[in-house]
Amino acid sequence: MAWRRQLVGLSTIITVALAWYLATSVTGFISGGRFPSPVDTWAAFRQISGRGYADGTLLAHALHSLRLVAMGFAVAIATGVPLGLLMGWSRRAEALINPVFLLIRPIPPLAWIPLAILWLGLGDAAKIMVIWFAAFVPAVINSFAGVRAVEPALLEAARMLGTPPWRFITEVLAPSASPMIFTGLRLSLQASWTTLVAAELVGALFGLGRVLNLAQQDIYPGMILVGMLAVAICGWLTTGLLALGEARALAWNQGESRPAS
Amino acid sequence: MASIRFDKVQKYFGRGEKRTHALANIDLEIRDREFLAIVGPSGCGKTTCLRLVAGFEAASEGAVSVAGKRVTEPGPDRAVVFQQFALFPWKTARGNIDLGLRNKRMGGEERAKRIADVLKLMNLDSHADAFPHQLSGGMQQRVAIARAYVLDPEVLLMDEPFGALDAQTRVVMQEELVRLARVRPRTVLFITHAVEEAVYLADRVAVMTRRPGTIKEIVDVKSMREAEDWNRFERIEDVMDLDSFVHLRTRIWKSLREEKDS
Ligand SMILES: Nc1ncnc2c1ncn2[C@@H]1O[C@H](COP(=O)(O)OP(=O)(O)OP(=O)(O)O)[C@@H](O)[C@H]1O
Ligand SMILES: [Mg+2]
Repeated sequence: MAWRRQLVGLSTIITVALAWYLATSVTGFISGGRFPSPVDTWAAFRQISGRGYADGTLLAHALHSLRLVAMGFAVAIATGVPLGLLMGWSRRAEALINPVFLLIRPIPPLAWIPLAILWLGLGDAAKIMVIWFAAFVPAVINSFAGVRAVEPALLEAARMLGTPPWRFITEVLAPSASPMIFTGLRLSLQASWTTLVAAELVGALFGLGRVLNLAQQDIYPGMILVGMLAVAICGWLTTGLLALGEARALAWNQGESRPAS
Repeated sequence: MASIRFDKVQKYFGRGEKRTHALANIDLEIRDREFLAIVGPSGCGKTTCLRLVAGFEAASEGAVSVAGKRVTEPGPDRAVVFQQFALFPWKTARGNIDLGLRNKRMGGEERAKRIADVLKLMNLDSHADAFPHQLSGGMQQRVAIARAYVLDPEVLLMDEPFGALDAQTRVVMQEELVRLARVRPRTVLFITHAVEEAVYLADRVAVMTRRPGTIKEIVDVKSMREAEDWNRFERIEDVMDLDSFVHLRTRIWKSLREEKDS
C-alpha cells in the first residue's frame, strides 16, 4: 500500500514541523539564538531569495554549487569508471596501478582541501579537484569489482563470438558490471556533496557552503537552516536524477514479468 | 571438410603436487558433418575435451585441430552452446544472435536476413525482442543454439546443452535438434550424461574412462539407425521403444557402468 505509507510519512513531517513551531515560536522552549523558529527561517529565506545574501540569491548559490558538483562528479566518472574497468580487465594494469591506489585511498578526501586551495586558490578549480578526488575512489573500486564479478561463461561466449576488444569492453564488460558501477556512482555522488560543502566552508567566494559559513559568522541561525535545507534539496535532486539514469540504463535488469509462453 | 582431430592429447591441470591428469592420450577424429556424442563418468574430462576444441584451454601435449588447422584460440568457426546458456542478459534475443554477425562485419541487410532465417528455424519468431530473463529455460537455450547456428560455423560444440532443462522441455529440444541436424548438418561434438540422449542424437557415441580420461570405445549408432530406419519416427519415445535402440543403449550403459563401479 504505497499511498498509506506516504500518508504516514506526510503526517510524521507535519508533526515534526508542528513540534518545531511549538518549541520555538509558541513556548520559547528553544531560544531563537540556538535554533531558528519557522518564522525566522521563512524571513531568512525571503531575504536570500529576494535581496540576496553573501553576494547572491539562493538560486544563484545553489546553481553554483550544483554546477561544481556536476563537473567534479563528471570528471570522476570519466576517469574512475574506465580506470576501474581497465584494472578489472587486465591483471597487468591492476598490478601497475593498484599500489598507488592503495597508498592514496586511506587519505580522507577532505584532507586534500588545504592542498587544493594552496594550489588552485579559492575558485572553482580547487573545488572540482577535491570533488574529483573524493568521487574517484568509489567509482574505481566498484567498476573494478563489477568486472571481476562478471560470469566467466559470458566472457567465453564473447570470445567465442569473435568480439573485438573495444566492443568487448563497451558491450560486454561495462554492461555486465553496470549494476556495480551504479552502486559506485551513488557513493561518488554522496562524497561529491560532502566534499563540496566542506570545501566551500573552508574557503569560497560563492556557493551554498559560503552561505553557511557567512551565516555562522553573522550568528544568523535562520540563514544557516536555509542553507542546510538547500543542500539537502540539491542532494536529493541529483540523487533522483542518477536513479533515473540508472533505471534507464539497467532496464534489462529490472524484473519484468515474463510473458506466458 | 570440417573434421575435428585429437592427436595424442594429454591435458594436465595445475603443477607439482597438485597436478591433475585430466586427459590421457586422446586420439579421436570426428568426421565432417558427423554428430559425435561423448559420454563418461563425472569428472572424467568431457568438458575439458570440448574446451580444447573451443580454444578455451590448450593441450599439454599433442594437438587439437579443426578442418586441418591447429586450434590456438576461440573463434566463431567453432560455435559453443553452453549448459547455462551464457546469453548476454542486457541484449534481447535478437541482440544476442546479432553480436557474432556484427563481429564478422557483415552488412545490415544480410544480417537481418540471416537472423530472420534462424529465428524461424528455431521457432523463436515471437520472442525476438524479449530479454533472456523474460524467456523460459527452453526458449533461452533456443536462443543460444540460434546464436551458434547463425554463424554458420564449421563445427558446433555443445556441453550438456539440455542439462539445465526440465524433462519435457528436454525431449522437445532433442527432437528439434534432430530436425535441425537433418536440415543443416554440421560437425557436432555433443557432451551428455544421458545415454539415451546420446544414442538418439549421435552418429557415434564415444565412451570415456574415469580420470585420467581416455576414449574407451566408440559405438556406431548411425549404421543401426539407417538399417532399422529410425528416422521414420517423429517422436523420441517411438524410437526408444525399438529393440535396436534398447540394444545399443544397454551396451553403452554397461560399458559406462564398468567405469563407475571399478
Ligand atoms: N581449470 C581447471 N583447473 C583445475 N582442474 C580442472 C580444471 N578444469 C577441470 N579440472 C579437473 O579436470 C577433471 C575433468 O574435468 P571436466 O570438467 O572436463 O570433467 P567432466 O567430464 O566434464 O565432468 P562432469 O561430468 O562433472 O561435467 C576434473 O577432475 C576437474 O576437477
Ligand atoms: Mg562437464
